[in-house]
Amino acid sequence: MGPVNPAQGPPQRVRVTAPRSAGRLHPGAYPVTREMAEQSEVGELFVRSLIRSQFRLAVVVATGFLVILIGIPVLLAVFPQIGDLSVFTVPVPWLLLGLGVYPLVISCAALYVRSASRNEMRFRDLVDED
Amino acid sequence: MNAELNPVVGYVALTLVSLSTVLIGIYGLRISRTTGDFYVASRTVRPWWNASAIGGEYLSAASFLGVAGLILISGVDALWFPIGYTAGYLMLLLFVAAPLRRSGAYTIPDFAEARLESLMVRRVTSLLVVVVGWLYIVPQLHGAALTVQITTGLPPWVGAVAVVVVVCLSVVTGGMRSITFVQAFQYWLKLTALAVPIVFILLRLTADGSPLTDAGAVFTAELNIGDDASLYRNISLVIALLFGTLGLPHVLVRFYTNPDGASARRTTLIVLGLLSVFYLFPTMYGILGRIYTPDLAVDGAADATVLLLPSRIFEGTAGDLLSALVTAGAFAAFLSTTSGLVVSLAGVVSQEFFQGSVKGFRRAAVISAAIPLLLALATNTLALAGSVSMVFAFTASTICPLLLLGIWWRGLTDVGAVAGMLAGAVLCGGSILAAAALGAESARYEWLEQPALWTVPAAFAVTIVVSRLTAGRRPGSVSRVLARLHTPEPVQPPG
Repeated sequence: MGPVNPAQGPPQRVRVTAPRSAGRLHPGAYPVTREMAEQSEVGELFVRSLIRSQFRLAVVVATGFLVILIGIPVLLAVFPQIGDLSVFTVPVPWLLLGLGVYPLVISCAALYVRSASRNEMRFRDLVDED
Repeated sequence: MNAELNPVVGYVALTLVSLSTVLIGIYGLRISRTTGDFYVASRTVRPWWNASAIGGEYLSAASFLGVAGLILISGVDALWFPIGYTAGYLMLLLFVAAPLRRSGAYTIPDFAEARLESLMVRRVTSLLVVVVGWLYIVPQLHGAALTVQITTGLPPWVGAVAVVVVVCLSVVTGGMRSITFVQAFQYWLKLTALAVPIVFILLRLTADGSPLTDAGAVFTAELNIGDDASLYRNISLVIALLFGTLGLPHVLVRFYTNPDGASARRTTLIVLGLLSVFYLFPTMYGILGRIYTPDLAVDGAADATVLLLPSRIFEGTAGDLLSALVTAGAFAAFLSTTSGLVVSLAGVVSQEFFQGSVKGFRRAAVISAAIPLLLALATNTLALAGSVSMVFAFTASTICPLLLLGIWWRGLTDVGAVAGMLAGAVLCGGSILAAAALGAESARYEWLEQPALWTVPAAFAVTIVVSRLTAGRRPGSVSRVLARLHTPEPVQPPG
């Protein structure tokens, strides 16, 4: 069966509306920790370092992925004899591009999700201690 | 042109998909009452539902029909398309998913205005989003026209009109909540519609001892009809698809239905799994098509590979049933992508012109669907995968710099953002138009035909340089907004 279970009935509904009119994000639920992080100087520092580490993580994963991805056609261009290899009559370039790239995408994504959550946890601990 | 398939099969498949879409829309109506429900679905949508819905919305005509058609024509180079479509979601996950969810904005213009405190940026972004959305709906309608023509023998315009009518009905009655159900349903329908026939086809071919790969002959380049692949083209295409996905209007609105940033990331991870599984199937259709439907390997017909392959291998009722299934899946693809786009465009248009009321949303939805219909009827069908990649290149050159720099760079200013978007729009749009004007001759100018590799960096460069020059215009709220985008939500909701 599918991943969904409609039999559980409609859960409690939260009303969500779009921030229209003014160009300000509506305050909504504003956590104390975040407020602190913004108003104290040391809090601002924590936020900046969180953004930096998240950005570095994203760039590292993206670069790793792109290097491998662009590496495939480059490798095939440099060593054309790879194209003659085949598994069950399917040539290696077809296997790499048709099958091999997808596990790579998912591994990169899973790695990123884990590390990004860990960065956030570290930030939370820092702010709570402060 | 007469129908190549039993027309009754086509009618039944199209009617069933349309009816079930409208019915699920009406079911959604019972629980969709407030303006908030109408726009973004209450935040009760679970990750699996949501991921299925994102997959359902994203897998368009270009994925369902176009990929197989392209493999038929250009062989191994066509595999870059599904790779780009999937990896686009990886980039979305890395750079955009969680911060955008936390921004609280639910359309790209909302985000732009909140981040840069500028009405001008909002206007320009709205305009671009609407243009991108319309351009992206047009190939969906072309796909529908092709499908209806092949399966029923009716004139092509019937397909385009049918899609627009069904989408308007379901959007106008149910809004976003019902659309979530419809989209999730349609992901699984699309997957089933490709998977079941291919399993039967493979079993049949193996039992008959018919060739599956012709001892590897299907993979040789001699079967390709076009020979315009090059390293430049492939890389430029991948850049367009990777960075174009970030800015597609119907993608962002989906993230708003996640409860928080962390779950937005989890949802995206599931989406990547769903897309990876899905793309195996069009690839197999394309490969088998190189043996069993070689006559379709001409421009304009190749996109029919998926629709016609089952009937080439099975005769009689079995062939009819399997054809009905792929037809239903194809129609689901047009319906789901079009309705996702119409919902997000209607959100933008109604906030810009109708003060965001429910009535205004309905009116905006009809407008958002009618204009691309006119465009589709006035233009000729192009190869689906190719025309969609133009839209990705355009989005990557306009909206992507705004989003990425807005999320990660404190120095972005309103003037810089507008300059970057306009530069990207002029360069990329101009190249595409110039290539179209040159016609067949344009094959010699691949930098015009596939411009993303230089227009995307150019748009980024203009945005950064102009922002630096206008550094005095940095909004005072930048620290507060960036903190909001990147800090995690509290573990338990604040009392």
